[in-house]
Amino acid sequence: MLIVCHACDLVHRRDAIMDKARVRCVRCRAELYRTNSASIDTAIALAVTASVLLLLSNVYPLVALQLNGSIRATTLVGAAIGLYNQGYAPVAALVLVTTLLVPLFQISGMLYVLIPLRANRRAPGQNELFRALTHLRPWAMSEVFMLGALVALVKLAALAEVIPGVSLFSYGALMLTLSALTSVTPTEQFWRWVDGGGR
Amino acid sequence: MTKFLMGRTVGLLVCTHCRATVRAVPSAQALCPRCGARVHERRPHSLSVTAALVLSAAVLYIPANLLPVMHMHTFFSEEDDTIMSGVLSLIQEGSWPLALLVFVASIVVPMLKLIAMGWLLISVARQSRGHALQKARLFRLVEFVGRWSMLDVYAIALLVSLVQIRSLATIQVGLGALAFGAVVVLTMLAAQSFDERLLWDTHSDG
Repeated sequence: MLIVCHACDLVHRRDAIMDKARVRCVRCRAELYRTNSASIDTAIALAVTASVLLLLSNVYPLVALQLNGSIRATTLVGAAIGLYNQGYAPVAALVLVTTLLVPLFQISGMLYVLIPLRANRRAPGQNELFRALTHLRPWAMSEVFMLGALVALVKLAALAEVIPGVSLFSYGALMLTLSALTSVTPTEQFWRWVDGGGR
Repeated sequence: MTKFLMGRTVGLLVCTHCRATVRAVPSAQALCPRCGARVHERRPHSLSVTAALVLSAAVLYIPANLLPVMHMHTFFSEEDDTIMSGVLSLIQEGSWPLALLVFVASIVVPMLKLIAMGWLLISVARQSRGHALQKARLFRLVEFVGRWSMLDVYAIALLVSLVQIRSLATIQVGLGALAFGAVVVLTMLAAQSFDERLLWDTHSDG
C-alpha cells in the first residue's frame, strides 16, 4: 500500500509495524501516522470531562481584585466584554473565539461525531465537521490564555490584592484535558476510526 | 544520493484533510473518496496568498510595537504602555522569568515569524535548492510557536476588565493592541495557507 507524505509529497510503501511508534517521513521527518492508536472511548471520556470543565470555567469568576475595600471580579466572558465596552470589538471577538467558542465547538463537535461512530454509525455532516475541527485546532488557545492570565496577575499583584477564582483552576484543568484530547485524536487516527467503524 | 519518488510524478495525490492517498485524475477536480474534500496536487495560489498575509502583517507590526497597547490611569499617575515597556515594567517588578516569557512571546516570536516566512517565500519563489529539511523544520517551528503571541492580548483583556475602579485606577485599551492582535491572526493565517510541499519541489534530489 502506498502513502504520500502530506508535507513533502514523497511516496512511501506502508509496511506493518508492530512496535508502538510514530512513523515519520524519511525525507522531511513529518509525522505520517502513529501505531499506538488510542481507543475511541478514551477520546469520548476526555471530551465529556472537558465539557464539564468548560461549563465550570464559565459560571465562576476567573479572578477578583480587592482594592481599598472594593472588590471587582471578572469571568472569561467578562474579559471579552471589557474590551468590547471600550470600543475594541475585533479584539474582544478574538479573545472570545480563541478561549471559549473554538474549545466549545471542538468539544461538542467531537462528541457529536465520536458517539455515533463508536456504535459504527455516521453522524450527518461527519466529514465536513471533522475537517473543520482539524482546521480550527491552532485556534484553540487555552494554554496561551493561562499564561496570559499569569502575566496579568503578576502585574496586578503590584497594585492590589488578587484573589484567584474557581474558574482559574477549572480552566487550567480544561487546558490539560484539551491537550490530551488533541493528542489522542490526531487527524490520521480519526479517519482510521471512520474506516474501522469506531475501532 | 538516493533518488526520491514524488507523488506528483507518479500520479498520486495526498488529501491534506484526511491523509488518504488519491489517484490523480487528469483535468478533473479530484474529490477525496474518504472525506469528500477537494484534493489538489499543490494548494492553489498558496504562494501569493501567503505573501499577501505576511506583507500585511509586516506593515501592522510597526504600529503594534510603537502605539501603546494600554493606558493606565491611577490616582497618582498616568502612563502609556507599549509591548516593550510592559516587558521593562515586569523586569522592574523583579519578575524577570515572566519578563523573558513576554519578551519571547510578544517581540521575538512575531519577528521570527515575519523573517522566517519572508525567507521561505523568497526561497520558494526563486526556486532555490538545498537546506530543504532545515527550511521545513523552520516552518514547523513558526507554525508551532505562532499562537503564543496571543499571550499579551489575553493579559491586556484581563487587566482592562479588572482594573476599572473609578477614581483609583482604570486601564484603557490602546490602538496598539488592535494592531498586535491583527499581526498574530495574519501570521497564523499565513502559516496555515503555506503549502509546505513547495519547499521540496525544487529539491536537488527530486
